[in-house]
Amino acid sequence: MARQTTVGDLSYRVVLGLLSTAALLILMVPVVVVIITSFTDSRSLRFPPPAFSLRWYSALFDPVQSAQIHMAAWNSLVIAVAATAISVVLGTAAALAISGRRTWWTQTLDAMFMSPLILPTLAFGLAALMFFSMLRLPLSIPLMILGHVAVIVPFILRTTIASLSQLDRGLLDTSSSLGAGAIYTFRRITLPAIRPGILAGAFIAFMASVDNVSVSLFLAGPENDVLPIRMWSMLESQLDVRTAAVSGVLIFTTAILVVVMDRIVGLTRRIS
Amino acid sequence: MSTPALTRRTLLAGGAVLATTTLLPRPALAAGRIVAPVYPGPWEEAYRAVVLPAVKKTQDVDTVLTPLLALDQVAKVKASRSTPPFDVFLLDPGPVVVAAEDGLIDRFDPSRCKNIANLQKAFVDEWGVAVAAQIVGIAYNPKKVERPKGWKDLFEPKYYGKVGISGFGTTFGTSSLIEISKQYGGSMTNVDPAFEQLRKWLPHVGVIAQNPVAVNTLFQQGQMDVTYTNYQTVSTLKGRGVDIEFVKPDTGPIAFYTTLHVVKNAPNKDNAYKYIDTILSTDVQAALQKPPYNLLSVNKNVPLQPDMPSDLVKSHAELASFIHHDWRVIAPLRAAWIERFNKEIRQ
Amino acid sequence: MDRALQQGDPAITRPRARAPREREGWLALPLALFFCFFFLAPLALLAGISLRVTPQLEGFGLVQYAKFAGDSFNWSVLWQTLLIGVKTVALTACIGIPLGLLFMEAPRRLQPILLFVIVLPLLTSVVVRTFAWMVILGRDGLVNNTLTALGVISAPLRLLHTELGLVVSLSQIEMPLMLLPLISVMSRLDPNLKDASAALGAGRWRTLFRVTLPLSLPGLLAGCLLVFASSVTAFVSQTIIGGGRMILMPFYLWQQATTLFNWPFAATIGMVLLVAVLAVVTTLNALGRRSRALVHG
Repeated sequence: MARQTTVGDLSYRVVLGLLSTAALLILMVPVVVVIITSFTDSRSLRFPPPAFSLRWYSALFDPVQSAQIHMAAWNSLVIAVAATAISVVLGTAAALAISGRRTWWTQTLDAMFMSPLILPTLAFGLAALMFFSMLRLPLSIPLMILGHVAVIVPFILRTTIASLSQLDRGLLDTSSSLGAGAIYTFRRITLPAIRPGILAGAFIAFMASVDNVSVSLFLAGPENDVLPIRMWSMLESQLDVRTAAVSGVLIFTTAILVVVMDRIVGLTRRIS
Repeated sequence: MSTPALTRRTLLAGGAVLATTTLLPRPALAAGRIVAPVYPGPWEEAYRAVVLPAVKKTQDVDTVLTPLLALDQVAKVKASRSTPPFDVFLLDPGPVVVAAEDGLIDRFDPSRCKNIANLQKAFVDEWGVAVAAQIVGIAYNPKKVERPKGWKDLFEPKYYGKVGISGFGTTFGTSSLIEISKQYGGSMTNVDPAFEQLRKWLPHVGVIAQNPVAVNTLFQQGQMDVTYTNYQTVSTLKGRGVDIEFVKPDTGPIAFYTTLHVVKNAPNKDNAYKYIDTILSTDVQAALQKPPYNLLSVNKNVPLQPDMPSDLVKSHAELASFIHHDWRVIAPLRAAWIERFNKEIRQ
Repeated sequence: MDRALQQGDPAITRPRARAPREREGWLALPLALFFCFFFLAPLALLAGISLRVTPQLEGFGLVQYAKFAGDSFNWSVLWQTLLIGVKTVALTACIGIPLGLLFMEAPRRLQPILLFVIVLPLLTSVVVRTFAWMVILGRDGLVNNTLTALGVISAPLRLLHTELGLVVSLSQIEMPLMLLPLISVMSRLDPNLKDASAALGAGRWRTLFRVTLPLSLPGLLAGCLLVFASSVTAFVSQTIIGGGRMILMPFYLWQQATTLFNWPFAATIGMVLLVAVLAVVTTLNALGRRSRALVHG
């Protein structure tokens, strides 16, 4: 219905427009800045860069010079895949049990499983270190995987529960009344329906594991160095501009993955 | 219904495979093996370029280097003392005392390292052996500020807003603050004058680094133009094209020795001694001293000249005349100093 | 399904006595057990260690907590940390809500692109984003060089190692955590309500504050909680962008654990931080529930 544009309308549009532009800028500028800086020719983090070159990328991909970084990246990948796989299994099962029901114990479990999102994970990282130390377990990749599972499983739970809540219960009832076993129903009806939700959650969980600092900080050792810790150390100790190149590679890979996941499971739809 | 390509089953299978591969025992290497920490930055570059190949060639031992600061090394071993993550410690004097008192270091057996004969007696003790000397002084950017002469200059008005301070978390930081304290009536055990001076100067602070190696970053970024640090840091940054020069304070530069130790319960103890022995050898010491690494040697057969600038230090004898602090006395006081520093510099 | 019936698929011909939902409770057991062993147990250990008296882990007592409580320095560190969280939430909400509204009112074609822009920072490494802010806020960085080029300033401003710089960068780093729940809720709002409000003569501002925002409260609240929790514990960003003079709880915990090797006190700091964040979160949640009741009647 047509209405006269009032001063209120105009001010609304202006203010909102300004603020949202500011928000978009703030979101985008850092990413763009990193990409541009990764092509700098100088050894310092000046912006705008005085000259451009690919030297930091070639230094990054040099197997001798950057062996440590490559190992850290590989470790991060292995840990993320394993942690995500375990989280998908445990998380999907738990989501099936919890979703839709409002008994006291499902609510308690829900709160507990979601708590890593809210609690300071740094404290948990320290606690995990002390815990494994008391158990006399040397720091290793499997322990890091366990630590990561705890902090990434909430992501899978969230998207899977959301998916389940959109599942038509009628289908399940129909299936069971027609005589289908529980596993059959799950395999043929539930799973295909919630698969996009699981995959979206798995994707976010994967990225969260690759990016995790607070747990990795305490559990990382010489054998299980991970990328974020390596990058932080490089930044703090040497101001190694290779960090910019690593960042460039990460941004590029993430962007591609997001687009791919969006095509496959409608990722952007699912997490909104 | 179509079978989805990525089913739960395949994910589970994939995850299980990956999980088991990480648990598999490592393939036995023909050579020996050792995991050794090294300071991040120039030390790491030096060790990768010089020490790793040398250890492999002369002792047939593969080295896994892990970049870690001294205190972080101690923290990691403390967290798993029965199965330490590495075989040796590379430490500055302060952390040595902490680690030794906590029983993390294995008693050192000098007879297992023949190259120790090339060292002065003072460089070896029950805990470990010195592998490099470090000199601490003042660093400045010659393009932006005048050359400071000594510790007191740091607080001059002409340097307001340009000085970077780091705390007691590092050996060079502690040593420098002790020397600053001495300028104002303090001593090795009394740093109150330094705190007084800091408090007066705080309104004109340039930058304060709690992370020891942030000095490199901050200097490179131009966030500070004057600070105190190791000579090694200065020569490395200079080699990278940063405008930086080292100054021996007029009251005397500080020297300390970085030492190698064998970790208690180390899995590869024999290889640890081989590793240490190689680093003490004349060839390796000479190579580590050359630019761009500039790690001052402790081996008598490797003269400090001509690698080191003659106005810095001419010989081992001169090095011995620099100021040395007794860390056994300082170490117990440091925790309180660190906490006090936190409170004093806080915004 | 029909073919299966014809072929006498055994899974289907067996009669089912109970509804499938009732037997699913046990499915939560594996994760629950995992959490007990690898999440709750470590936290319980943390609490236990915080009760030890000496750094060598001897004795039991509340000495560490007394030490924490007795020194006003510790309280100010806690307070400053929580305050940084609050300021970050405020800034993120102020610029995030308009962005969410923009998203809702954007044409369909643009929405995926906008969402991509919003999601990408979330999925890029936190170290990468912190690094970016170093380059932006540094003495020789984007902001200073731009302002100098425009002639606005003559000497570089100090932006790095200030609270303002930290809050601004944290709000970018955490903004997706605010936007995603917000957009999720906003997209489910009944558009008729907004139209009805306009039809009844309310201006845009009134509609915003009386209709849209109150109805979006659950999403807004979820976003605030996530941003608060995340920014309070953002160790890397706080230390790199905040600098050495800003002593916040994460750094304090780190210093006690790895520089001073005082595990009991480090554990105490961890517990205090946990409890403080939990308290804030619970309060916000309670407020949220009350407001939801108000809104929905």
